[in-house]
Amino acid sequence: MALQLNLLHEEITQHRERQRDPLKLGIYAIVLFAAILFLYYGWNAYQTMQIKSQLNAVEAEWGKVEPKVTAAQKRAEELHRIIDSTTVLDGLIESRFYWAPFLSKIAGCVSPNIQLLGLDASTNGNGGSVSATLEGISAAQEPRHAAEEFRQLLAEEFEKKYGEVKVEFRNLEDLDTVVNLVGTPTATARFVVSVSFNPTAPVPATPAAATPEASK
Amino acid sequence: MPKKLNKDQIQKIILSSLGFIGLLYCYFTFFLGPLNRSRESMTQTIVETQAKTASSKTEVKKTANLEVQAAEALSRYTALKATTSQGAPIAWFPPKMRNFFENNDIEKAGVRLESSNSFAEPQLSDWIKNTWAIDLPSAGFDALGKALAELENSEPLLAVQKISIHAVPEDPQFQQASLNVQTSFYAK
Repeated sequence: MALQLNLLHEEITQHRERQRDPLKLGIYAIVLFAAILFLYYGWNAYQTMQIKSQLNAVEAEWGKVEPKVTAAQKRAEELHRIIDSTTVLDGLIESRFYWAPFLSKIAGCVSPNIQLLGLDASTNGNGGSVSATLEGISAAQEPRHAAEEFRQLLAEEFEKKYGEVKVEFRNLEDLDTVVNLVGTPTATARFVVSVSFNPTAPVPATPAAATPEASK
Repeated sequence: MPKKLNKDQIQKIILSSLGFIGLLYCYFTFFLGPLNRSRESMTQTIVETQAKTASSKTEVKKTANLEVQAAEALSRYTALKATTSQGAPIAWFPPKMRNFFENNDIEKAGVRLESSNSFAEPQLSDWIKNTWAIDLPSAGFDALGKALAELENSEPLLAVQKISIHAVPEDPQFQQASLNVQTSFYAK
């Protein structure tokens, strides 16, 4: 039987110990793990670059849209301002009181035996009430009655067009002066009538309002 | 049979473990962490920018629609602005009124500025409100009525606030009239 002797026993043990050196194995493991981590990092970095390019595309699109939307916002603001201003101006225009029809109504109520000496009228702001004072002279056998007819006619005419009409005498006095009316000496009276109404108030639905203007 | 580790080997294992931990710390702290944060931030920015772009496109469309809807208001506003002439109103409004009344058979109209104010309404911050006194020393009642009607129809931003008509004692055919008018002018 052959006898085998290991004369390199110590060297082989040292060699094995060197091969199983924990530090060396640890460095190998760390390097291997670092390589895996690097690959994972690379994959993540690739995805991040894709997202970055997507972000660049989105930002480029926003860069194109932004000037348009800024201009659009500015224009919209301007348009809103113009619309609002126009609405308020329209309100001012619509709420104006038209004096020509008012004067026309008064002229239509003045009969030949009435002479108006003065008219003072004012409106209480846009869309507010209107107040007027008419001063005049009536001439008739009964001048007070003529003045009263004038007052009633004024009230009737204004009620056809305006709301909340009030026509009242502020003063009515007989005058000593006698005037010649159609060749006849006629007594006179001086009157002051105050008129107030609201042009925006609804006109009362009376039968008189429906009849044509035949009372002139 | 497991071989017992000697002190040197234990030290090397501890050293390797520390190196491993250091590697993980550096990797997550200095590499993967910032990368992930940057990616999340970019994703967030993309979502926000896309939402912003979509809403902006809608806004541009809305403005285009508004432009169509506001066409009437725009033309009216332009027309109302055109009623204001160039220069200070005190320079051009009195001659304009004098000419107007002369064209309506009312001579010697005197026009003076009584007050000039801003509007209380914030929508009319570009406009000024002037009050004028117009004296008409001699006017026939018919001519005055017609002139007033024409004035009210031709000057939409003019409103007569007060009117006073009195007979002229020396000439019963004519009346002496005075008007207080309020005008709205575009303040350029």
